[in-house]
Amino acid sequence: MESLFEFLFKYRLLVFQRGDFVLGVPWTVFVASVVGVAVAVPTFLLYSRVAGKSRPLDRVILSALRTMAIAVILFSLFRPVLVLSTVVPQRNFLGILIDDSRSMRIADADGAPRSDLVQRLFGDVEGSLKPALADRFILRFFRFSSEAQRVEDLSSLRYAGTKTNLGGALDRARQELASVPLAGLVLVTDGADNTHESLEEPLLALRARSVPVYTVGLGKVSFPRDIEVSRVETPRSVLKGASLVVDVSVAQTGYTGSTVTLVVEDGGRIVNTQDIELPREGEVATVRIPFTVTEPGPRAFRFRIAPQEGELVAENNEQEVLIVVEDHIEKVLYFEGEPRHETAFIRRAMQEDENIRVVSLIRTADNKFLIIGAENPDEELTGGFPTTREELFGYRGLIIGSVEASFFTLDQLRMIADFVSQRGGGLLMLGGRRSFSEGGYAETPVGDVLPIMLEPVDSEEQFFSEVYVEITPAGRTHPITQIAGTLEESENRWGELPPLTVVNRVTRTKPGATTLLTGEGPGIAESQIVLAYQRYGRGRVLVLPVQDSWVWQMHADIPLDDMTHETFWRQLLRWTVASVPDRVQVTSVVDRVAVGEPVELLAVVEDDTYLKVNNTEVRVRVRSPSGVVDSLTMDWTVDRDGEYRARFVPREEGLYEIRVDVEEGGEFLASDASYVQVKDPAREYFDAEMQAPTLRRIAEETNGHFYTWETVSTLPEDIIFTDSGTTVVERRDLWDMPAIFLMLILLVSAEWGYRRKRGLA
Amino acid sequence: MRLIGSAPQLLLVAGLTALQVGDSVSEAAEPLPSPPLSRANRPRVVSGDVLAQVPRGRQPGVLQAAREPSNDEIGIHAFQFTRAIYTGYGRRGWGGRSWAVDYPKADRQFLFNLVRMTNIDAYQLENPVRLDDPELRKFPFLYVLEVGFMALTPPEVEGLRNYLLAGGFLFVDDFWGDREWFNFEREIRQVLPEFSIQELSLDHPAFSAFYEIDSIIQVPNVGNGVRGWQTHENGGITPHVRAIFDDNDRLMVLINWNTDLGDAWEWADNPYYPLKYSNFAWQLAINFIIYSMSH
Repeated sequence: MESLFEFLFKYRLLVFQRGDFVLGVPWTVFVASVVGVAVAVPTFLLYSRVAGKSRPLDRVILSALRTMAIAVILFSLFRPVLVLSTVVPQRNFLGILIDDSRSMRIADADGAPRSDLVQRLFGDVEGSLKPALADRFILRFFRFSSEAQRVEDLSSLRYAGTKTNLGGALDRARQELASVPLAGLVLVTDGADNTHESLEEPLLALRARSVPVYTVGLGKVSFPRDIEVSRVETPRSVLKGASLVVDVSVAQTGYTGSTVTLVVEDGGRIVNTQDIELPREGEVATVRIPFTVTEPGPRAFRFRIAPQEGELVAENNEQEVLIVVEDHIEKVLYFEGEPRHETAFIRRAMQEDENIRVVSLIRTADNKFLIIGAENPDEELTGGFPTTREELFGYRGLIIGSVEASFFTLDQLRMIADFVSQRGGGLLMLGGRRSFSEGGYAETPVGDVLPIMLEPVDSEEQFFSEVYVEITPAGRTHPITQIAGTLEESENRWGELPPLTVVNRVTRTKPGATTLLTGEGPGIAESQIVLAYQRYGRGRVLVLPVQDSWVWQMHADIPLDDMTHETFWRQLLRWTVASVPDRVQVTSVVDRVAVGEPVELLAVVEDDTYLKVNNTEVRVRVRSPSGVVDSLTMDWTVDRDGEYRARFVPREEGLYEIRVDVEEGGEFLASDASYVQVKDPAREYFDAEMQAPTLRRIAEETNGHFYTWETVSTLPEDIIFTDSGTTVVERRDLWDMPAIFLMLILLVSAEWGYRRKRGLA
Repeated sequence: MRLIGSAPQLLLVAGLTALQVGDSVSEAAEPLPSPPLSRANRPRVVSGDVLAQVPRGRQPGVLQAAREPSNDEIGIHAFQFTRAIYTGYGRRGWGGRSWAVDYPKADRQFLFNLVRMTNIDAYQLENPVRLDDPELRKFPFLYVLEVGFMALTPPEVEGLRNYLLAGGFLFVDDFWGDREWFNFEREIRQVLPEFSIQELSLDHPAFSAFYEIDSIIQVPNVGNGVRGWQTHENGGITPHVRAIFDDNDRLMVLINWNTDLGDAWEWADNPYYPLKYSNFAWQLAINFIIYSMSH
């Protein structure tokens, strides 16, 4: 197609795109006008008067053909030219940026790796573009992966980079060639940028300097046969013994309908497997796989699918994620307004859980409380329910049982709402005669945070019903509701449990809330909500509007060794307090990097009422795998309250421990720890197909051009037409384009042919 | 465990007098016999097997009263004072209703003050359930008395064992002397052979769950209490509070031996029955009920 265009129009399309079209001389306009009128008027008059055998339609067609032929001649006489800006040979520099990352090793170029194409294009071999480019430009080579670096030739390329940063490479080359006449940059890559950084700024800088980028895309835009574990979503830290349900996304090409097995490993030990039927091409299968974390400390969990026959890239069949399994005790305050069997059975269920401490505050009579499970009985809760934020915010979870809203002061109700929204704690309200609407929570700060609508109650008639619990679609894959070994077994188990009783009519959730369990029973017109939650501010709020979950332990249909009740409560409370923030939180932007890649650290510091603390002393100790400790100071970012940043560069492979201590006035306030795994990341093999849209965008936004292996041969010819660098203006005639000649012949022949056909010749 | 707040004043007898609970029970339980004055003439079925007359579930058979509440009413409450119906031979031989001694007046009078003195949402009427009835598992607190005359059938042994292992709590009362102890011990060994019976010391948290109890008082039956010349019977001189714990140190069975808390509840409205016994009986039971509902 390109060659046909060039034959007809003398030059390639790119030349027309680069040039400005003008007509050769000014007087031609006048002459042409006069001649045109002189020819057109007599022609028109002649045709209009001499009818002969012709019909009016014949005369119109013949007039049009004749006029068009004359117009073509006139166009040539106007001497059309293309005005082009072309580089002056050997006066300009050309930057050639070559991708040195691992993805260039992928052998999808007719069985050869992409790096081979680089050698054939720019190496010192026969057929290379290098001589043609070198004739016109002074060449400067760069190699890039996570960072760009000047190189003399291709011999230093290793294709071992663990990250591809296109924007950074363009920035570096632009800056390095800022002081020389730069004709353009040639970006030779697969385009698989995995930094997730925006290209906007680097491209803006290039546009400002009018530097075109010619992108050369290597590799296939789609692998013929490939399976990729494209995404794994896990929490960064969990409590030891927690049940997780992890979302894993699997993409594929060439294996539609096949069944593969997803394996989850904890430090090499298989913790669960699940068969997946692969979706159609272009679709992503998302599976939810449950497993339990049992070993404390930073753990590397691997999610893998065995390489299939014919797969080009096997490295993207697995992902490894770092989960910090915490082995500390989370404190949950359970405030119960009256002695109930539910209290005893919840405590029994949680008794074996070493990581959750339930501190029970039971109002046994008016102004009389029983405290169970306090860490420090002489101080904790001695005044009843906390009256200060410091005391309440010391807990990570709060359970409110059958206690009426009027028990609390307005400040305490606001404090409970703040416990969720500001402190980020987990709140769980249980059913009971003094809970929800029956407890007067409507239009209170606590009622506002609940995920359910509090409906008016009939004061004359107390609502009571049995409910048979059913699991909802959202509940089927939720960590709380996994009460058996697999998702299917859990779902079945929920259908077998004996009914509970409810005294609160709760049927509607607020928008955005998620219902995990519902209930049906005699006398219940609308499905009763049994378990629902929503996020509120920084925390979570759950409701369990039943009054006797202990039936799942005591009922005659429940075997004595059944652990459903214990499992449910442990998972419920663990999820309630999961991801509750500490006063100091340190995180790294990524949890896995390669040696030499900088690690950005971010810490958020709050006081004991969970208000952000600025300008305090935040120190970081970074312990390397070999035990070397580096001390850093984190600086307040100023633009965000309570946020501190620092960075370090790991120099060895292994697990780095990052421990943050916060002090104020020499007094220790709080600390936190995080981990970074320094290991060759496999990210280069994910989304490793040639990213044509990205490369096309870079070229278009900088007025360059996008090439593939098949089209790149014209690069040396195309690249000379640029406004950048030292250039001269060149005028190229268009009057002698074959297309004009052919058009003229076509029009005249058409007129002649028409006359012959109509018998007018 | 720790208590905060002031202990409620015990005005138990005054409250009961105001209620005139004895009269109301008599009317409501018609045609139940009048409340007995002594153990010898307490109501009992004298012919046939009492259990044959007690349907399953919360139907107490011959003792079915006009005020027997519906299932819905009983389930709506957080606590039911459930009395165990068991097979026994009673003091007049096989078929004696030893389980029904003090029934139902003691239950009702106890419940009246339980609700009055605590925040417990208790069902206000008696709730007798057979030990071999699966419905028993719906009531985690179980009261049983006169266990010196207990003679459990295999289904009852199994029912009680499963109840206790599943999480139930058994409160044992009103049996005296070594002979009755041996009978109870034999029966409970059938139920929980793997767990030992141990003396419960006063520093156990249950003794301070609501009231601070610092000594164990022997509570006499109504006859001895009114006469005031002795508190013991059948050679049971020293009162004991004993317990059986499970492997997780959970209190499953509380055994009140050589004492009669039930009579103290039942006759708390009798002006001749000493107040101190009634008060102690209530305190001890309330403490263990709250303990069982919170631990």
